Amino acid sequence: MIRIAAVGDIHMGSDSQGLLRPAFDTLPDCADVLLLAGDLTRHGTPQEARVVAREVEGLGVPVVAVLGNHDHHDERPDEVTAILQDAGARVLEGQATVVSVGEARVGVAGTKGFGGGFVGRSAGEFGEPLMKEFVRYSRRLADGLRAALERLEAEGCDVRVALTHFSPVPETLAGEPLEIYPFLGSYLLAEAIDTAGADLAVHGHAHAGTEHGMTSGGVRVRNVAQPVIGRAFHVYHVPVPERLTTG
Amino acid sequence: MTHPGDRGASGAPGAQHLDYRVAHLRDRLAGGPLGELGVRVEARGDAVLVTGCVPSTRCRDDIRRIVREELAGLVVHCDLVVTDTSSPDHAEDLT
Repeated sequence: MIRIAAVGDIHMGSDSQGLLRPAFDTLPDCADVLLLAGDLTRHGTPQEARVVAREVEGLGVPVVAVLGNHDHHDERPDEVTAILQDAGARVLEGQATVVSVGEARVGVAGTKGFGGGFVGRSAGEFGEPLMKEFVRYSRRLADGLRAALERLEAEGCDVRVALTHFSPVPETLAGEPLEIYPFLGSYLLAEAIDTAGADLAVHGHAHAGTEHGMTSGGVRVRNVAQPVIGRAFHVYHVPVPERLTTG
Repeated sequence: MTHPGDRGASGAPGAQHLDYRVAHLRDRLAGGPLGELGVRVEARGDAVLVTGCVPSTRCRDDIRRIVREELAGLVVHCDLVVTDTSSPDHAEDLT
């Protein structure tokens, strides 16, 4: 069994140092890895990123993160990423990383993802250049997630997790106004997850949403936005499939 | 029938209607120093309801101050909760 801790939308600012560290210091007792599902800062400034970096540095469990829309607001996502990486976090955008837990290999594929909406109520790649780019951007990030999950499959990971900020499914948005669903997620993420396969999908972004959901392909989805889970993090116990033997 | 620029019964210009004041408050919360998109602001009759979960007491106090400034003269009901930062007391088993 793999113990996956996850939280998103911690929105740390200059006054946030130390808020989460006491809880994070308990992670080695209850989790094998910590996933951060974006919106780690309020405005995406390097100063705020350093607050997050100090909060997660040297935790005793691997830290894997994606950025959120707030982390892009200051238009310096590369600096934010570098600061978090200097603190030991693995920051993913269309990338994958593998965490070893005993003999098991846990693969995490990550992207911020983007909006566009869900099947039957989604934006189309049509009309003004801005509108077309909106949908293309969402598609590019979803394609990056699919490719990263497929790489993890090729590498023989025992457990694969899709980590995003935007939601892949509408179920975990329940509680948010229906009118803003297209700004909260995209079915393209769910399609990528179902195409490549995963054991769990974790996202944030929807503060008024619901924790539990599932893709059409049957992959469990968890909204771990901190206002949703009401804790410093939640922990999910994911079984490790028995290795197939040949011969 | 009303037309753009009509004034309400109070004599306030159209831009001072409650709906627009709520919209401007939301814009200020999102675009200002707080960067706060997670707070819900809704007109309820003649009053305004402000709800949501915020990361710190300082953030909650800042939001309350901005709400008071933007919605001066209106009845406002604030129910902002500060996020719990304690460790979870259980895990979810996904077997």
